[in-house]
Amino acid sequence: MLLNIFTFAGRLHPLIVHLPIGFLLLAVLFDLLGYTKKYAHLRSAVPLTLLAGFVMAVLACVFGYMLSLSGDYDRTTLSHHKLAGIGLALIAGLLFLLTTRRFKAVYTVTPTLFSTLLVGLFGLMGYAGHQGGNLTHGSDYLTMAVLTYRERPKPTSVEQAMIYEDVVQPMLVKKCGQCHQPGKLKGNLSVQNLKSLLKGGKNGPAVVAGKPDESELYKRITMDPAHEKFMPADGKPPLAKKEVEIIHWWIEKAMAAEGAPIAALKDNAAIKPKVAAWLGLGGATAPEEENEAGIEQHINPDIPAAVDPGLVENLRRKGLMVRIMLQHPAMLDVTLPAGSGKSIGDIKDDLAKVGKNIIWLNLSDNNFSDTDLAFLGQLTNLEKLRLEKNPIADGISDHLAALKHLEAVNLNETRISAVCVNKLEKTQGVKRVYSWKTAAPQAAD
Amino acid sequence: MSHHHDDDIFKLHTPDFDQLNKKLDRRTFLTKTTLGLGALAMGSLLGKELFGSTPKAAAGAGGLEADILKALPHFAPKAKRVVYLFMSGGPSQFETFDYKPGLEKLMGQNLPASVRQGQRLTGMSANQSALPIAPSIFKFNQHGETRTWVSELLPHTAAVVDDLCIVKSLYSEAINHDPAITFFQTGNQLPGRPSIGSWVSYGLGSDNNNLPTFIVLVSKNGQKDQPLYARLWGNGFLPSKHQGVQFRAGKDPVLYLNDPDGYDGKDRKEMLEYLTKLNQLQNSAYGDPEVEARISQYEMAYRMQTAVPEVMDMKDEPDEIFEMYGPDSRDPGTYAANCILARKLLEKDVKFVQLYHQGWDQHGNLPTAITTQCKATDQATAALIKDLKRRGLLEDTLVVWGGEFGRTVYSQGKLTATDYGRDHHPRCFTMWMAGAGVKAGLSYGETDDFSYNIVKDPVHVHDFQATLLYLMGIDHERLTYKFQGRRFRLTDVEGKIVKGILS
Repeated sequence: MLLNIFTFAGRLHPLIVHLPIGFLLLAVLFDLLGYTKKYAHLRSAVPLTLLAGFVMAVLACVFGYMLSLSGDYDRTTLSHHKLAGIGLALIAGLLFLLTTRRFKAVYTVTPTLFSTLLVGLFGLMGYAGHQGGNLTHGSDYLTMAVLTYRERPKPTSVEQAMIYEDVVQPMLVKKCGQCHQPGKLKGNLSVQNLKSLLKGGKNGPAVVAGKPDESELYKRITMDPAHEKFMPADGKPPLAKKEVEIIHWWIEKAMAAEGAPIAALKDNAAIKPKVAAWLGLGGATAPEEENEAGIEQHINPDIPAAVDPGLVENLRRKGLMVRIMLQHPAMLDVTLPAGSGKSIGDIKDDLAKVGKNIIWLNLSDNNFSDTDLAFLGQLTNLEKLRLEKNPIADGISDHLAALKHLEAVNLNETRISAVCVNKLEKTQGVKRVYSWKTAAPQAAD
Repeated sequence: MSHHHDDDIFKLHTPDFDQLNKKLDRRTFLTKTTLGLGALAMGSLLGKELFGSTPKAAAGAGGLEADILKALPHFAPKAKRVVYLFMSGGPSQFETFDYKPGLEKLMGQNLPASVRQGQRLTGMSANQSALPIAPSIFKFNQHGETRTWVSELLPHTAAVVDDLCIVKSLYSEAINHDPAITFFQTGNQLPGRPSIGSWVSYGLGSDNNNLPTFIVLVSKNGQKDQPLYARLWGNGFLPSKHQGVQFRAGKDPVLYLNDPDGYDGKDRKEMLEYLTKLNQLQNSAYGDPEVEARISQYEMAYRMQTAVPEVMDMKDEPDEIFEMYGPDSRDPGTYAANCILARKLLEKDVKFVQLYHQGWDQHGNLPTAITTQCKATDQATAALIKDLKRRGLLEDTLVVWGGEFGRTVYSQGKLTATDYGRDHHPRCFTMWMAGAGVKAGLSYGETDDFSYNIVKDPVHVHDFQATLLYLMGIDHERLTYKFQGRRFRLTDVEGKIVKGILS
């Protein structure tokens, strides 16, 4: 179980590390106080304190190394911390050597030089400590920015949102900040604030006001994703189409400036819904799910976003086939197998319970009459309806009158006539009515 | 804080790989233990015991799979079923849909090098001293409201041309039959990947509990010049219940489904219940998904014992149907009979029906051979479209017609006034689709005057596959299956949805 002991010991590093800090600090204190008359005697304690600090520093280094093996730490910061820590231990050891009798016999350091070296050691300790803090808490944990940072309240409407502060800046930090922020600075670019964007990275300014196509940032996020210069690199999640459009608009129309409320800018009509969606605002329209293939599908906004899985299960238990056509919004395609022997009373209520989610429905060949099917008016989002091979008469068209989204109705092999077909097609706007093997006339093949 | 160390460069950092990354790999293991030789020795002694028993990690793989399936469908689907009429051998575009009237003046002239651009030819015609241009000897006429040019060989298809979405700019990467057809069916030229129908079955499941989701019908009347292998409708690395099931003509439509002589099948159900118990017992120890597949296949086979004879039975079909599909249609196993059967399967909500008709590989004697081929398929194909349309099934059924590649503009072998042959040509060929989600009456894509290169809107095989999946509600980039440490998809790393043909 030796491996676990390593991990365990490694985790003691944050505890152990404070011992050399205390001892070395005490050594500095004793040495400096030694200059005063009152505490001159403390100077003789410096070598012992230094020795203790050295021993503890070596221990802290060993434990720290164990910790570095198990943890997932930023490599650069880690190596800084490691070097500073080992250096600290070595210098503490050397300083102790300077105080030994054997060394003094060879060479004596003046008290002033010794004190200067001790204070220098203190400085190094501060540096090592800060790097260590950055490792555990993140490099942005203790920076000057924290002093001046004020969190922006989340805008409650698109009108009051600032295009840079509320949208572009958080967007860039979220999608690019992992590599382009103080502490990482890949390509020497930080997306932290507008100033750093305008300063840019090694390829010049990241944004050029008014000119998206000349802006390095915009070029990099819009090139062929297979290109090696495409950003975000290494297959990290790319910016969504909508986000790219917002950035384009910000650079072109908002002149890549900060402090500009969207409402105050010209040509903002097209961008508003996109910003609203990005911010998760905009009333009924929830933030759209990004359609990754970039294909616009016209989905009826009245379809409820979700459906109770219990109700779907209920339908399945009754022998209906329920196919999930889409998860969000929850679109269902329900089929009652032909010749199921079910009466409409068996299934009507269960269908109505998920009525708004049923988009395609197939009740063909089940001996239903048009009065049986009066409940179909409740399934207001129906788009395709199959009722063929049922004893249905012209009355069915009245039951379907409320269905505004109905595109296709299959009434093949029913008892309908031309009246019903006409009514559905002409008055109710159903695009395709199938009436093969009915009294309604057929278009010539 | 970054997780991207230089020495981690070979690790993938998407969440899918977290589980894998968390498992201690050999390198980490050694690094950790090199702190002391004793530790190394002890570590390797204990290694197996420490890391061998990580059932949680094993469960993670199933999690990824479940997540992928849970996200389906990715789009609101247009098509609920597909019937894919595969014209195996590579039908010539010149004698069917890609009308090139300019070629008549150039008959017998050598194919200009500027057209060929040094592109590879097959070994069958690469050594010919000349590549004489061979115009179609068949006439073309305009049909339908769209005035679409269709060859006189396809009079019935011409009558439904307004329902078709003809894509003249398909292209493939393979130049010989087996790699090309394997590429079309599985997205890869080498055998071993799942067929399109298997991917659809895996991604979307079944709409009919009594019949397989993916059914294959092979015409008996196509000339068997190029072989078809069952792996073309195989499940590859997907669970085996997703493989295509071939229905044959005759008394035994699905092999080994009938009860043997002298057994009445009465206690079959009871027997299967005991067998299931035994299998479950076995599986509780082994956890092999193949055992589960076997259990569900036995149950499916049992249900199919009733469902298959029912669907194969043609006696309820009126004479009008047989007249419509043509004289062959009364002879089970022909292409025409298979078209009727396909319609019956689609009526039962079988999700993916694939017909294969061989014999389109006309290297020589093309005029005679292609006439036979068209006669065997044209009427039934058109009848299938008409029949599906009037029944309202074209609403949510996608019909696909096409082969694995096209044919060359030049004649392979001797060109005479009445005879010529054409070699394989993967750089452009014609397919058509009809029904759910595609624009009816559209001709998409253009080839040059020699139908040798594509000049407008090229459609790669992977693009076709991506579009087919899109119409079924699947994002081809997101339906993946992890096998041997890599995630696979039908379109490999390519494929763009052909937006121009979507209705």
